Amino acid sequence: MGLVLSILTDALAYGMVLFIISIGLSIMMGLMRVVNLAHGAFAMIGGYLASYAMRNLGVDYGVAILIAVLGAIAASVPFELLLYRRIYRNADPLIQVLMTIGITFFIIGIVNFVFGPTVKSIPLPAALNGPADLGFRMIPTHRLFVIACGVVTALGLWWLVEKTEFGIRLRAAVDNSGMADALGIRTEIVYGATFALAIGLGAFGGVVGAEILPIEPFYALRYMVTFLVVVSVGGAGSILGALSASMLLGLADTTGKYLAPEFGEFFFYLAVIVTVVLFPHGLLGKAHA
Amino acid sequence: MTELVLPHHAAGRRIPLIGEAAIALAFAAAGALGYFLFPDDLAFLTRLIGIAFLVLSLDLVTGYCGIATLGHAALFGGAAYAVGAACIRGISDPFALLAIGLCSGAVLGLVSGALISRFRGLPQLVLSIAIGQLVAGLANKLQWLTGGSDGLSGLEPGKVFGVFGFDMYSRTAFLLSFTVLAITFLLLRRVVNSPFGLMCRGIKDDSLRARMMGASIYPRFVIMYGIAGAVAGLGGALTAMSTGVVGLDSVSFERSAEVLVMLVLGGAGHLWGALIGSVIFMLFEHIVAAANPFHWMTLVGLLLILIVVFAPRGLIGPLTALCARLFSREKKT
Amino acid sequence: MTKMSRSILSLAMMAAMAGPASADVIKVGVIGTFSGPYALFGKNFKMGIDTWVAQNGNKVGGHTVEFVYKDEEGPNPAKSKALAQELIVKDKVQYLAGIYFTPNAMAVAPLLEESKTPLIVMNAATSSIVEKSPYIVRTSFTMWQNTVPAAKTAIKNGAKKVAIAVSDYGPGIDAEAAFKKTFEAEGGAVVEAIRIPLNTTDFSPIMQKIQAAGADTIFCFLPSGPPTIGFFKAYVDNGLKAAGVKLMSTGDIVTEIDLPSIGDSSLGVLSTYHYAVSHQSPENKSFLEAMAKVGAGPDEVAMTGIAAYDGARVIYKMIEATNGQRDPAKAVDSVKGMNWVSPRGTVSIDPETRHIRQNVYLRVVEKVDGKLVNKETGAVFSDQPDWALSKR
Repeated sequence: MGLVLSILTDALAYGMVLFIISIGLSIMMGLMRVVNLAHGAFAMIGGYLASYAMRNLGVDYGVAILIAVLGAIAASVPFELLLYRRIYRNADPLIQVLMTIGITFFIIGIVNFVFGPTVKSIPLPAALNGPADLGFRMIPTHRLFVIACGVVTALGLWWLVEKTEFGIRLRAAVDNSGMADALGIRTEIVYGATFALAIGLGAFGGVVGAEILPIEPFYALRYMVTFLVVVSVGGAGSILGALSASMLLGLADTTGKYLAPEFGEFFFYLAVIVTVVLFPHGLLGKAHA
Repeated sequence: MTELVLPHHAAGRRIPLIGEAAIALAFAAAGALGYFLFPDDLAFLTRLIGIAFLVLSLDLVTGYCGIATLGHAALFGGAAYAVGAACIRGISDPFALLAIGLCSGAVLGLVSGALISRFRGLPQLVLSIAIGQLVAGLANKLQWLTGGSDGLSGLEPGKVFGVFGFDMYSRTAFLLSFTVLAITFLLLRRVVNSPFGLMCRGIKDDSLRARMMGASIYPRFVIMYGIAGAVAGLGGALTAMSTGVVGLDSVSFERSAEVLVMLVLGGAGHLWGALIGSVIFMLFEHIVAAANPFHWMTLVGLLLILIVVFAPRGLIGPLTALCARLFSREKKT
Repeated sequence: MTKMSRSILSLAMMAAMAGPASADVIKVGVIGTFSGPYALFGKNFKMGIDTWVAQNGNKVGGHTVEFVYKDEEGPNPAKSKALAQELIVKDKVQYLAGIYFTPNAMAVAPLLEESKTPLIVMNAATSSIVEKSPYIVRTSFTMWQNTVPAAKTAIKNGAKKVAIAVSDYGPGIDAEAAFKKTFEAEGGAVVEAIRIPLNTTDFSPIMQKIQAAGADTIFCFLPSGPPTIGFFKAYVDNGLKAAGVKLMSTGDIVTEIDLPSIGDSSLGVLSTYHYAVSHQSPENKSFLEAMAKVGAGPDEVAMTGIAAYDGARVIYKMIEATNGQRDPAKAVDSVKGMNWVSPRGTVSIDPETRHIRQNVYLRVVEKVDGKLVNKETGAVFSDQPDWALSKR
């Protein structure tokens, strides 16, 4: 019993990290239909910025998160204006894959040139450091914080999409971009705002998830696949889908690590293959014509 | 597309084997050039040829069938491991090992093709990645077979025809790889210009129309995947034999991504494009990456973006356009 | 197209320049991790060699020695073999040296006999490497060498039930075997043995398993570098440290390079290792001063620096003994039994195994002047052989 509870709590924490980073990608893929393999690269920019801000500028954890999110969004603007615009809703996934792989390589090269090719730690504030007692086991306090962040992100997004003016426009653009345009919704503004939101969430996830997915020189390449897989399993554009996919894959991966650690990510990808074959459009996604 | 296919055919009709003969001659010339001009670089050139097989293989599925995949290294690496394991267990004849690579590659190709080509778009891409990662995970896990993180090393294939041994200067390895590449290339040229190959291309360009004509898509793609697997398997076998080592890098995601870049750089949908792309990419990598791997990544990224924006058909596009213009001018005069 | 012809041209020029080396320049090819997460350990190869050259000049009996460096990046056997081949065929090196990862060393070994090139291994620590070719000499350490003292220390400190956690590759498996054998022979029990894939970043499940197994001590080995930091955090944050479970290791998880990133959670960790930067001896003092002169920043010296420094000494001796001729058998024979006082203490090359014999020190992580260091406790296991090789 203790083991099951242990697995579940660790899976929850891991799943939440996957969720926070991937949900931005999911929204972006739902709306703009862009297979953005560079999403992890922006999360990595966030991580590097936060690490630099805390270790070299000496700012607080909270401020560092803010710097990371805003910095990553700022860094993404030229990419959006010059490159991503060309491939929004472009039917050929190959072109999207290639361009975003190109962007990933480019960002990895530049980031390592600027910040140096070593692992970047993001120091935690004292309140989040050390163990917390759950009764049946000790858990890193930071993981509780991550879980809370995930819940807040999910609720916040739900509110944004379902209850606000922006959300209405966004959903209209997702369902029928052309019609939304015709009805006077400035879709390019919706696109731009969604892009910024996606990048910001990615950077946020990169920073708070750094304890589980450490920020390192090849971060963008190493987890490129992981994030894309979460979105694909959940179904692009669905908050609940991304959440359930994150939980499912987090559980598969964590269980594998507990019961057969020497198999590495084998179980993670086995779960992926099974779900994709059974649900080609994701657990909760809609088929796009 | 059509304007590129037709001239080949017209030439083929007139004098049957002349195209093949010309290509074989060109290959022989290039091989001799490499052998005599760069005797100290044969190991590198052999590695390049191994990768060229993988790029050609990827071209068959991505360029000719329109299947976007980021897990293609699984076929190459899977075959390399099969060859390595067989070699360690005492099968040392190079041609037997080549056959093992070819068959295991083909089997892997058929299996992954059967899964991957059922889908289109994102699920297809994700499946290809997942299969690639699954193979990589297995290669890491099945230590008794693959050596795990340590890899397989100390492979000692026997002599080719019982005479030419694999030496440290890679002379034999180079000549063998080059010959196999030339033969494979000529055969593939036949395959892609056969009714089967043309139909695959037709499905890629307009699958709805192809289906209206009564063409069944799925079995064709699976067969093409099998052929691609065999080609990748040859590359894996040759690489394993010439380097004497098989490591996890041969099944890695990075390898899959890299060959996709090479293919697109040269031009997907053209066999020559695949060759040109792998040669240029590997030469550059050899020179630039040795200096600083991160600058190399920046450069590759930039190059890729530029290609997608300015030359989405790869370098072969402008090249063939140039050739076509020269050709037509000759005709007029 | 112009790009291509230009690069072909540059290749041709490179080929032309790399003609037969002039008789009195002896080249040594060094393969190490000069980029990526392990770059500092590769930098130590270069700094160690530079230090030796700065102290002893670049001439041996009229022959000029030149070191050529190549980047192995990470555990990538195919790439390392290609690099070695290139060094031998194109650069015409007479000696090979360096190599951080075991699989890379294994891949290079088959080339040595055909090319008559001795290899001086400056890190890769799996015992069996030296058995892969008679031309391999090692100046670093092996897992058996450092682990057997760890197991003895554990017994002495009263450990009864130990969980072993190692990286799932050559050296890790060696460490597991060495610890298990020694510890069980002395009457201890191993209650859990976990092999962790090399690319693991989340160690929480592993800590939970160890706790569930009821171990009182953890023995671990991970290659120095990024993974060790996460391992420590998981150890502390999952409450094992607070619960009194002790952590023991060879020095690889607490290298001086990683300590600042690991932080205070490493305080009190015991490790058995062949070299601590804080080692008190006149040789080490002058070594560290010389290292600083060739560009070693604070916290940048590690075990690969000392292995390279001693490795360069071995290479010089080989060149002297062969008078610059390519004679690998004579070169290797000349250093068998060679002994000297290294900055790490008295060492010698075991004539049987061609592996270095050296003292292994028990150290504890302490804070000295606000800086984390591995402080020697005074317990020394002197003149340790490689336990796996010397038994045979």
